Amino acid sequence: MNQPETRTTQLEQGWRPSRRELLGAGAVTVLGGTLAAGLRHAARHEGGLRADVFISKADSYSSDLVGAIADGLREIGVTAASIRGKKVLLKPNLVETARGEPHVNTHPAVIVAAVEVFRRLDAAEVFVAEGQGHRRDSQLVLDESGMNAALLQSRTTFIDLNHDDVAAVASAGRWSTLGKLHLPRTLLSADFIVSMPKLKTHHWAGVTCAMKNLFGVMPGIVYGWPKNVLHYAGIPQSILDINATVKPHLAIVDAVVGMEGDGPIMGTPKPLGCLVVGTNLPAVDATCARLMKLNPYGVEYLTAASGALGPIHEHNVYQRGETIASLASRFAIIDSPHLQGIALS
Amino acid sequence: MSASWRNTLLGRLLAAAHPSGGWGYRLAGEPSPEPTAFGSLALSAFGATGDVLDAAQRKLAEMQVPNGSVVVSPDVAAATWPTGLALLAWRCVGLRESNPFAEPIARAEKWLLAARGETFVPDRRIYGHDTTIAAWPWIDHTHSWVEPTSYAVLALRTGGMNSHPRVRDGVAVLLDRAIPGGGWNYGNRRMFGADLRPFPGPTGVALTALAAEHPSTQVSEAITYLAAELTNVRAPLSLAWGLIGLTACNRRPAQADEWLEETAGRIRAAETGPLDDALMLLAGSETCPIPTAPATRTAAMTG
Repeated sequence: MNQPETRTTQLEQGWRPSRRELLGAGAVTVLGGTLAAGLRHAARHEGGLRADVFISKADSYSSDLVGAIADGLREIGVTAASIRGKKVLLKPNLVETARGEPHVNTHPAVIVAAVEVFRRLDAAEVFVAEGQGHRRDSQLVLDESGMNAALLQSRTTFIDLNHDDVAAVASAGRWSTLGKLHLPRTLLSADFIVSMPKLKTHHWAGVTCAMKNLFGVMPGIVYGWPKNVLHYAGIPQSILDINATVKPHLAIVDAVVGMEGDGPIMGTPKPLGCLVVGTNLPAVDATCARLMKLNPYGVEYLTAASGALGPIHEHNVYQRGETIASLASRFAIIDSPHLQGIALS
Repeated sequence: MSASWRNTLLGRLLAAAHPSGGWGYRLAGEPSPEPTAFGSLALSAFGATGDVLDAAQRKLAEMQVPNGSVVVSPDVAAATWPTGLALLAWRCVGLRESNPFAEPIARAEKWLLAARGETFVPDRRIYGHDTTIAAWPWIDHTHSWVEPTSYAVLALRTGGMNSHPRVRDGVAVLLDRAIPGGGWNYGNRRMFGADLRPFPGPTGVALTALAAEHPSTQVSEAITYLAAELTNVRAPLSLAWGLIGLTACNRRPAQADEWLEETAGRIRAAETGPLDDALMLLAGSETCPIPTAPATRTAAMTG
């Protein structure tokens, strides 16, 4: 069993936060900050939700990533029958680039491996799409991250979601004040959406992984650079609304080398040596938090997702492949009051 | 100087015009104000006046909503950041004796002067910049950022408002957001004690807006950063804005045309959109129509 997650919630005593309470303290948001204390209280009664999450060892980006991803999909029940004929959108994290610092973004080798796996599963089309949060210039990000060369070599199309045609969709979550989401038509036309984040600490949210990665589907022409509308609406609340509305089908997390400290941009490399695969994103993110020796119940968006969008309690997340204990390594976080208590003891 | 890539991009830009006027971000995409504004400026820079340019200018007017702002889409009324770009395009294209867009210009200008990014109490433990100065946001009811502020400053200057307090605040925000060591990113220079990284595109945009200002450390450091950085950049958006910015500061690199030609060859193969083509053309033009020097109010009013 993992380190005890000792944050005692009122919910364990039979209390469940109302939507008003969830939103209450989340109104104070600025440039990515949030004081959404209400979201810290969360369900451990997860409504019978269960999810499988597969952890595959991958010591380096030159290891057999195709095999690792294929094993993961097989273990969690994603088969050719569920992919055949589908249009598969792979959403990496390419928030910004800095030459010589590949731990900022999802590594191209992981993306190319996923392309290969989905092609083998008879997808009708596999493409990569991203709307970077900081840099408008997709071409420059692709160049500097090495993604451009990798995509060219694998004959894979990239779609810039920041500048796509958009359509308004009612938010299926209503945690935030957004009401409706303006989503790229490319995203809406995809049959199978795969969140492919880099495992990182985040100086606001605590952890950025599969769920937070979906900020990158929100088009910059509507949400700005950075996507400040989502900051003002509350980062945890926006993460929840986007995930509830977009309904991603799968996550493949690049945790071969992650980032600790002042993530998601200015942190330092943290080798963890694995990929994490799952169809339920809260369960995947909770697993990743545990791999980082961080408490999922200290991550606001995860506590709120618990029972609503998926399970995060360790009894409800069935770990397959490698064990958490065999790979977990403490990720440093910034010393700031809003992240107090997130580290597992 | 090779003209062939310019002719190719110009021909492609003309051919890519939407039947209803203007350009989208993608070929055959719905017209959007940013590519339409820069497409207009690019055609003007190469003397390609005519039906395509007129239709683009009219399309920008169609994108203006009753409050005077020009929005990304009628469904997204808060995405008002293109207003400054539309104003620039209306003011700087054609140089007619009497501008047929005088009424949209007046409404856009009035809206821009009233629009303000959100401010908040500074917390120096977290933010490195002055959060109390209001400039211009990308989206209504959010904070001010570098690119929309630069667009607004450039646009209002064309109306002879260089001394207006809002323009001065815009300039102050740009100078304040410069990253130690040179350049700009989207507009955060420092967070949680760490200096953030500059990007070439926003640096070029900010330099264009600040070229007419008095010399400053921020501008000279940004020129140094950009001149070095562009040697490695062959992405159209960043290279074009970087060169437009350096040219505005009279520091156009000797290799600029060589870099543009190399990049143009690359984007022919990559199938990029009209915005890239338009900005590349502006960066490659001998008379970029984006004015950096302040206009006098009298001259502006006749334009």
